[in-house]
Amino acid sequence: MSDLTQKPAPAPSRPSRLAQMWDSDFAYAFRHSPVAIVALLVVLVLFLAALFAPWIAPHNPFDPATLNLMNGFTPPGQPNAFTQDTFLLGTDDQGRDVFSTILYGMRISLFVGISAVLLAMIIGVILGLVAAYVGGWVETLIMRVADVQLTFPAILVAMLIFGIAKGFTPPEYRNQMAIWVLIVAIALSDWVQFARVVRGAALVEKNKEYVQAARLIGRGSFPIMFRHILPNVLSPVLVISTISLALAIIAEATLSFLGVGAPPTQPSLGTLIRIGQGFLFSGEWWILFFPAVTLLALALSVNLLGDWLRDALNPKLR
Amino acid sequence: MFLRSSAIGLVLLAATAAQAADFKWASTTDPQTLDPHAVNSAPVLGFLNNVYEGLVRRNQDMAVEPALAVSWEPIGDGEGWRFNLREGVTFHDGSDFTAEDVLFSYERASNEVADTNSWFAPVKEVKIVDDYTIDILTHGPNPIFPGSIANWMIMDSGWAEANAAALPDKDNGNYATLNANGTGAFRVTAREPGLRTVLEPFEGWWDDATHNITQAEFTPIQNPATAVAALLSGDVDMINPVPIQDAARLKESDEVEIIQGIEARVIMLGFPHEAEALKYGGDAGQPNPFKDVRVRQAVAHAINVPAILATIMRGNAEEASQLVSPAMSGYSAAHADRRAFDVDKAKALLDEAGYANGFSFGLKCPNDRYLNDEAVCQAVVSMLAQIGITAELDAMPVRNYWPELREDNYDMYLLGWSPGTFDAEHPIRFLVTTPNPDKKLGSWNFGGFSNARVDELLPLIQAELDAGKRQAMLDEVTQIIQDEQTYVPLYVQPLVWGTRNNVALTQRPDNFFILRWVNVN
Repeated sequence: MSDLTQKPAPAPSRPSRLAQMWDSDFAYAFRHSPVAIVALLVVLVLFLAALFAPWIAPHNPFDPATLNLMNGFTPPGQPNAFTQDTFLLGTDDQGRDVFSTILYGMRISLFVGISAVLLAMIIGVILGLVAAYVGGWVETLIMRVADVQLTFPAILVAMLIFGIAKGFTPPEYRNQMAIWVLIVAIALSDWVQFARVVRGAALVEKNKEYVQAARLIGRGSFPIMFRHILPNVLSPVLVISTISLALAIIAEATLSFLGVGAPPTQPSLGTLIRIGQGFLFSGEWWILFFPAVTLLALALSVNLLGDWLRDALNPKLR
Repeated sequence: MFLRSSAIGLVLLAATAAQAADFKWASTTDPQTLDPHAVNSAPVLGFLNNVYEGLVRRNQDMAVEPALAVSWEPIGDGEGWRFNLREGVTFHDGSDFTAEDVLFSYERASNEVADTNSWFAPVKEVKIVDDYTIDILTHGPNPIFPGSIANWMIMDSGWAEANAAALPDKDNGNYATLNANGTGAFRVTAREPGLRTVLEPFEGWWDDATHNITQAEFTPIQNPATAVAALLSGDVDMINPVPIQDAARLKESDEVEIIQGIEARVIMLGFPHEAEALKYGGDAGQPNPFKDVRVRQAVAHAINVPAILATIMRGNAEEASQLVSPAMSGYSAAHADRRAFDVDKAKALLDEAGYANGFSFGLKCPNDRYLNDEAVCQAVVSMLAQIGITAELDAMPVRNYWPELREDNYDMYLLGWSPGTFDAEHPIRFLVTTPNPDKKLGSWNFGGFSNARVDELLPLIQAELDAGKRQAMLDEVTQIIQDEQTYVPLYVQPLVWGTRNNVALTQRPDNFFILRWVNVN
């Protein structure tokens, strides 16, 4: 790093970091995969739109004072019969602009999804590493718990956790807690994937020379696990977390769709789809259609990106 | 192999043809209990009217007609009513119906643990004259009494006592919560709460069956869109309600029919009148602003009812100015105007009350009880936000909702009221008079509203025989309710049922679905 900055700028013999990355196998694979490029673009656009929702959205759908009920059920792009207001993607039953609700709803979906995956990753990686490194009854215990949990569908586990947590939260905090409970519920239903993959990779790593060397010079278990083994098992974790993100977003949408997730005054994409579903037969298709398409685009592109990442990082397929 | 399976197919086909009168219907709310005295709510009473019977019943036009009593006449000078009971009636389990069962059902339904006890506020005593004659003595002359007990269902005393269900238990339930033994046209053959309830015609019913049902199955479907899909696909033969937004489209379908009417039910917002402090939202623990009549009036001015009717209800409901709809007897035509939608006035009232900067509180709302109840509550939240008060909405299924209200867990709530007697006295007795468990009054007055003049007028209204004088007193009470803004009446709920086009039935304005008037062609 330091020698790069000290040298005069044009160094034809040594390409810059960026150029190195550009020439790497990884980037080459990326450049030659139109699916990955499109998926990344879609993900980026949606992420940025969600991140900057307060600046992009025409109004804040979570501020009830700005809503006019008479704007309800305005079709996309057409003026409302009473107020003459026009909305790009129409309005829902409460007169909320569908475009704005999607942007804000995506924020919640992504926030819940990313937080849940991070939490699941932390839990899973720690338990997986410990299981592989310590072995013995600890490993048996952790992995059997994981196996048992795998036999239940993830959404069922999440609903179970959500239900129990809701029972224990005092009613006055339920709405504020809903999002956090949702994150924990999805994370606890998803850690098994991480634990299994990390354990598998770490079992291989733990018998390699560098680990034995580290043991020989007397390093403790924790530094060996987290400083030496962990960096070498991260690439499968990266793949799993991308795929898990798509699953977590769908899990959140499912829970909210079933009415046990995000509260109706703070709708996520799943809640929006649930609201829109009530108008399927009555002709107000846009209330359901646009959030559903957004969810589809988001989950599909994250998933495609994850698939591509798995292939790109798998030396056997190269 | 092929031949055999097609033969089985033919047998199956023949079997379905023979059971052509199997009838399935769906509604958003499962009756919470099969105990006719445990919960006084329309889904329970409406459902149980098919299984249990009262001394009197209401016909297709809501007129009172004999049921378990063949006739009745007043005793002396307004001391009460004598009912002559029908002979030869048996309960579903085969035991005979006698005056004993009537007395037992009176004691059961009027007990303080029964939700129905306020029906018997006017009753002083019930006396058995002989096996088939019973006297119901009232505190004063009570001309509308026979019409007020159409939903008082008679239970077999021996059955209830043998199964340790001599008293209703609305919280924990008992044998009568899951089982039923009435005299009605149908008996319950399977009951899975929240899943399905199966009824079959009772062979020993005393009346002539006018239906052609061989088996009826009720399924609660909470999601309205799912219910519509089930109706369109023929999975169910009838749904109640049809989501209001789908009614127009379904009318165009050849396979289903929409039956529409105005329900007797008024949807309103209720307040805590007694609570010292708010319980929810950012101002939890602060003094309760709704004790101030100006705040309640501000809420009434803030709600844009015409907008709710135009969008959420799609023009299918009428504004309400009082606790009963214009179709009820005793409606006060002199007070037909509700507070106008006026944001400035609402803000001025809040300012006057010392809440210029608004406050934050919790709004409780059911999400499977009334048409579009949750959407209406969301709209109320945004309308209140426009006068600067923040409502935190907590919407829940009705099975959790009533217990929450009974435990005073609300700062404001949504309620729908349909007077079982079709008279304006009914909501006053249940919703407005000071709650008094001993006198069985005010049992649904969750907020604890209390007004001495209303309490004074209620018994006079109940005993008054002169229609003009009675109306004058009802007008006065309506005036008090409007001035005090005890509740904020919003609108009269429409009644929208959907059936397959081969089903003929009768829709009663109390939203009771009576199976014995159903014919499947």
